[in-house]
Order: sequence, then structure tokens, then C-alpha cells
Amino acid sequence: MKKGRKILTAIAGTALVLSLTLTGCGTTQSLTPTDTAKKLNYPTKPVNMVIAFTAGGSSDIQARIMQKYWNKYVPQQPWVFKYTTGAGGAIGFAEAAHAQPDGYTIGGVNVPHIVLQPMAQGAQFSIDDYAYIAQVVNDPQVLAVRKDSKFNSWKDVIDYSKANPDKLKLGIVGTFSGHHMMLLDLEDKTGMKPTQVVYKGAADQNAALLGGEIDVMIGNINDVMRSVDQMKILAIAADKRSSFLPDVPTFKETGLDLVSDIRRGFVVPKKTDPQIVQFLRDTFKKINDDADYIADMKKAGQPQEYMSGEDFDKFVHAQNAHAKELLTKFKLIK
Amino acid sequence: MWGHILTGIINSFLPLNFLLMIVGLIGGIIIGALPGLTATMGVALMVPVTFAMNPISGLIMLGAIYSGAIYGGSNSAVLINTPGTPSSVATTFDGWPMTQKGMADEALNTSLIGSAFGGLFGTLVLLFMAAPMATLALKFGAPEFFWLCIFGLSTIAAMSQGNVLKGLISGALGVLISTIGLDPMQGLPRFTFGYYSLVQGIEVIPAMIGLFSFSQVIYLVGSKNKYIADYKPKKGVTLRVLGKLFRDCKGNMIRSSIIGTIVGILPGAGGEIASIISYNEAKRWDRNRDKFGTGVIEGVCASETANNATIGGSLIPMLTLGIPGSAVAAIIMGALLAHGIQPGFKIFTNSADLAYSFIVSMLVVNILMVVIGSFLIKGTAKVLNVPTPYIGVAIVALSVIGSYAIRNSMIDVIVMIFFGLFGHFGGRVGLDTGSMALGIILGPIVEDNLGKSMSLADAEGSIFTVFFSHPISLLLIILTVTSVMTPMFLARRRAKKEAAKNV
Repeated sequence: MKKGRKILTAIAGTALVLSLTLTGCGTTQSLTPTDTAKKLNYPTKPVNMVIAFTAGGSSDIQARIMQKYWNKYVPQQPWVFKYTTGAGGAIGFAEAAHAQPDGYTIGGVNVPHIVLQPMAQGAQFSIDDYAYIAQVVNDPQVLAVRKDSKFNSWKDVIDYSKANPDKLKLGIVGTFSGHHMMLLDLEDKTGMKPTQVVYKGAADQNAALLGGEIDVMIGNINDVMRSVDQMKILAIAADKRSSFLPDVPTFKETGLDLVSDIRRGFVVPKKTDPQIVQFLRDTFKKINDDADYIADMKKAGQPQEYMSGEDFDKFVHAQNAHAKELLTKFKLIK
Repeated sequence: MWGHILTGIINSFLPLNFLLMIVGLIGGIIIGALPGLTATMGVALMVPVTFAMNPISGLIMLGAIYSGAIYGGSNSAVLINTPGTPSSVATTFDGWPMTQKGMADEALNTSLIGSAFGGLFGTLVLLFMAAPMATLALKFGAPEFFWLCIFGLSTIAAMSQGNVLKGLISGALGVLISTIGLDPMQGLPRFTFGYYSLVQGIEVIPAMIGLFSFSQVIYLVGSKNKYIADYKPKKGVTLRVLGKLFRDCKGNMIRSSIIGTIVGILPGAGGEIASIISYNEAKRWDRNRDKFGTGVIEGVCASETANNATIGGSLIPMLTLGIPGSAVAAIIMGALLAHGIQPGFKIFTNSADLAYSFIVSMLVVNILMVVIGSFLIKGTAKVLNVPTPYIGVAIVALSVIGSYAIRNSMIDVIVMIFFGLFGHFGGRVGLDTGSMALGIILGPIVEDNLGKSMSLADAEGSIFTVFFSHPISLLLIILTVTSVMTPMFLARRRAKKEAAKNV
């Protein structure tokens, strides 16, 4: 009996995926507008969701959870996923920036990526190309060492590094990335002088820390959780402690004003009809208030944190000013 | 543990799971065989489907797709000289000459049996030695990676015997091409000439499709042959090849499996490096090493055994440490996390049924692959009975679609055509596409790890200690030197012999 149900779920699941793809081709739709969409007449066709990272990745999984609830609140039209990957997300972010501003292309964006890529790497979009819908994820960064490390607090690390300039090997993932910004912030605020070792991804960085190639690393909660048994997490760069790591103190509560994280949100092109933007903002808020959605996010290990489109817009611009100041100070941009 | 293994066997033979294995294998083989569709894409596409299944069935299907796709890449490598996945580049070196000699059946069956053997070997290591092997992933730092890739590049010397200079030039060009795009240390664009599309660098797969497949089409179109190669189906080839492999290639298969498993364990190195190194080693250890490259089953066997052995290897650090050993392992880990299962040593106790069922199912998958593969071969080999003009058109269409599919970008199609022309006309002046491919594949990894090692050297205060003091590094340096010297030594000995004969 139980087996039979499992088979049924599997078939139903496959059918669901198929039907989603198929309805993507349907053109004539008998529209039943909900209250908010009464005057708006949107959406009347499937909405493209541009994901700047590979299918099955963390961004994709988050958007797929969201899709489930979009279908609940906006049942008339589905999302069609499009994966435009490359250059650390810049290609997909640019696509979302330059799409037709008709509300039928939503893009998933990451901060600080969308701030740093145009600033330092010549990416072909700017943070002013977007109308911001919502922030949905806030993945704070942490300072981590090996379980058997002699460092027991972030202050130990800073003290050692100040006493032995260039001797501390500190791993980050990518340059002009969230990790890089946190490192510059740390150097700026504490005067530490580590040697920075740049890794391609969280996998080889985790391996390097556990194998003793580096002494300390900056990581995201999402990544350190996978190897948390072999690591000691010294501090978290967030306003409050994380429910994933309740015993880890924040930098703030131990005397250093440092908040550094990677945030994910959704945008449409700037020139999109304000009514549509408002509709999307309202819908995303509804989804983020849904208790089932929050439970699903937690189960998938996604650090859910909602911020309204207006606030997200302000946040991105504040990050932009901060990054510009920091990168200029360290002579990384002119 | 044996109890869990028994549960795993039972789970593997549940009708639904067994069906998923068959579907996954067939789907994987087709995805792998089509140039441009890689194992990574195949597995990633199916992850959302597994959300609706129970985790065990989902993992079993993903494992079957992974195995099928890595094996499938050899089909197109052998039949139309196009590596279906980057892991099969080294398979073209002997697979394609075999087809041209009318031995396509033998080549296809060799790659099938080799793949299954390698797959089984890797999975058995995963099953019985996961914990001790996992620590190996951690011992391998940036300097070790640097030397491993240099060792891989030394294959060029062996590959281009008789014309080492042109081989080296081709390899160097490949490395140069791989430096286009953002540099790994500073994150700044290089060689983009202000053209933003080049910021992400030259995508490896379109370049491979161009170098191997598109350049081959130009040659085919220019030739007057009615068919790509003579092909007459033979009966009982599978058994004959099986006999020959276990008689003459035991050492080769075991050596390639070990290389594949170890390379698979390392995060950042996968089937493409394993197959190249195994090919080189098989050649170096073989008595008839001059025959490599002319179409011998030993070459196909080494490459294909190694790349399937990486599968089990890449899952070891993923399951035990949460550090995926390959891009596909990373996606499978994503699927685990989405089901709320945390990888780590605890997975073998907390989710033992799941972990062991997954591993045991991989054993079943590899055995099943021989049965399914030998049926599919009969069909795929018929490609050779299609007249050249039609095949030419089909390859061009597949090359364009495959290049475009990587990231939905026309740039990649242009890259593919450029490398096709480059490969074709370069080939006429003696440039070696194989060496260039090695440069393009290994270049970025060499650079990335050189950069990291230099940063480490800053902290250590000495370049020497970082590069020359670790035991694994020293071993790799010795291997590299031997690998470079062997062809030279052999050439001299042959010259001496001939001189003696002429006297």
C-alpha cells in the first residue's frame, strides 16, 4: 500500500513537471483575474524566470520552492525557468536587466554580485537597471577554522595575524565576491594582514581548510553546514545569531561592527509598468508570509529572510556605496 | 554493515527502483553520446523530478544517469571522433582509428566493458574504503594539484612522438587560449579585447566539439568515401572482447581503475584528467607502446575504465565530508540537501539505508549497463552505415545544437566553428588537436593552482617548501620527469638499434 503511494507520487511528480512544461506552450487562456489583478490584466502568458546559476544549484532550488507558492497565489500562469549561466552569474543578471520590460521576465539576483560585477569587472548591467521585487534569502558569512585549531575566537585570529603579518593563510571563494568584501572589511576594521588564498568554489575551499592548507576561511552558512562536524565556527557576520548555528556568536555582540552576507532576491527590468511591479511585490510578500513556504525553505537549508522591494532597493544602493568606498581604499578600482 | 548492504540489494531490485535504473541508464547513455549534453546537465535536469520521489529512488536514478552519461560519451568518440563528454577526449585517440580500421564493434564493446569494470571498481572502493580514502582528498592541496596537471600535460610528449615540438606548440596554444577571461586570482578580464562575451572565457565543450568533430566533418566532406568507415556487424564481439580484456588487459584495467578512483576523489579533477593520465600510463607500461594512437583496444580500455572509475571516487568525499569530488557529485549533494539529508560520516549511521542502498545500486547499475549497452551498441554502430553526406549534415547540426545548449549562447557556436576551422587547417600544418585539447582542459586548473600555491608561498616565505617539499608533489614530479624522458630515451635506443642494423 505504502509502496503504491510512493509510485503514485513519483508519477504525479513527473506529470506535474511535464504539465508545467506543456502549459508553457498554451496560448489561449481563459483568464480568471484575482482581486489584485482586476484592472491589471497580468499575467496573461507564462512568466520567464531567469536563473543565473546552474539547474539544481542553490539558487534554482530556492526559486523552485518559490514556484510552488506562486502557483498557489497566481494559478493562472506558471513560471518557465531559463538558466543563463556564466561569469559568476553576470550573464544571467545582464539578461534580466536588458529583457523586455513587460513583466514577463523576472530575474533572480545575488548581492553583492550585482554590485561588484559592474563596478570591478565591466559587467554589462548596473544596479539601476532593475526594479526590485523582494529579497528572499540572507545567507550570512562566517569565520571558520578547523576543529583542532589553536584559534578559539575571532579575536585570536586577528591578534595572531597582526603579530605575524602575512603569515595567516585565509581562504576566500572568488575575487570581487561576498567573501572578498568581508575580508576587506575585516582588514579595514581590525588592521589584520593575512595572506589571501582564492578558491574556485566552496568544495575545494572546505577541503583546503580541513586538509590544513589554510588556517582560516570565510564561508557561507549554507557551505560550512556540510562540514560543520570538522569545523569550529568562530563568529557570524550577521545582526543576530543564526537558527542553523545558535551557539555561534555574532561579531557585533563580541565587539566588532561587521555584517557581511550574500542575499538573494528577484527583480524585473527598471521600465516595467509600476502596477505590475506592485503586483509582483504583493505576491512575493504573500509567498514569504506563507508558513508552509517558510517550512519548506528551512527543510532545504535555505536561510530565508524577507525584505520588501523598496527596502531591498535601498539596501543594494547602500551596499554599492560601501563597496565603492572599500575597493577605492584598497586601490582595487580607480 | 552487511545488513545494510542486504537492504541495499533488496531496494535495488524493487520494481520501481529497477525500472528507474533502466530508464536512467538509457537516458544517461543518450545524453552522454550527444556532443554538448554532458553528465552534469543530464543529472541537473532530473534533480527536480526526484523531489517528487522518495530519496532512495531519486538517488538511484541520478546514479544511473551519471554512470550512463560518462559511458555514453565514448560512443560518439569512437564512431564520429567526437567526445560526447569531455571525459572521453582520450577515447578518441584510439577509438576513432579503430573505427577507421573497421573495428568499431571491438572499440564500442571495449569501452562498454571497461566502463563497467571501472564503475564497479570505484563503487567497491566507495563501499569498503570510503573513510580512509576521504582523507586523501584533504591531503591534496594546491601544489599537488599543480603537479598533477603538469603530469597530465606531460602526456603531450608521449602523444606527439616524432614531432614533440609541434605537440608542445599545440599544447601551449591550448593553454594560452584557456587564459582568456577573468583571471582566477585578481578577478580581472584578460584577452577579451573589450568584448564582454569573452569575459567568461572559452567554454571547453564547444572548443572540443570544434576541434574534434567539426574539423572532422570538413575532412569528411572533402573526402570521396561513401561511408565514414567500413562496418560489418560481427556476432559475439562482446564475449570475444571480454575474453581479450581479461586475458591481456588485466593490469591496464586495474591500473586505470585505481587512477580513476583517486582522481575522482580529488575535488576539481574529474574524468577528463583521469582518462588522459590513464591513457598515458597505459601507453608507457605497454610493450607495444608505438601502436597506441593507431587503434588498439588497450588505449580505449584505459581511458574508458578510468573515467567511469571517477564516479565512485567523486562520491567518496561528497558522502563523507560534504565535499563533492566532481560537478555531478555536487548536484547529487544538492538533491540530498533538498531532501533534508546532511552528508558527512554520520550519513552511514543516521541514514544508513539510504547511503548503502545508493552505493549498492551503483554496483547493480554497472552490471546492468553491460546488458543494456550491448543492445544499444547494435543500434548506434549503424550510424556507420549511413552515407557520408547525411552523417556530415547530422554532425554539423549536432555540433551547433550541442554548443548552443551549453548556456544558450551563440558565442559558443562561433567558438565551435572557429576551433573547427583551426583544428582542420592547423592539422594540415601538423598541429595536434589532441595536445591542444589537453592545454585547453588542463590550462585553467594549472593556472588556478599555481596562483594559490604562490599565495601560500608568500605566507610560508619560500616557494621551494611549497612546491618541492610535499611527498605527493615529489612523487608527481618524478612521474612527470619519467613520462617526459621515456619517449626521448626510446627514440635514442631505436636510433641506436637502427644504426647498429645499418652497419
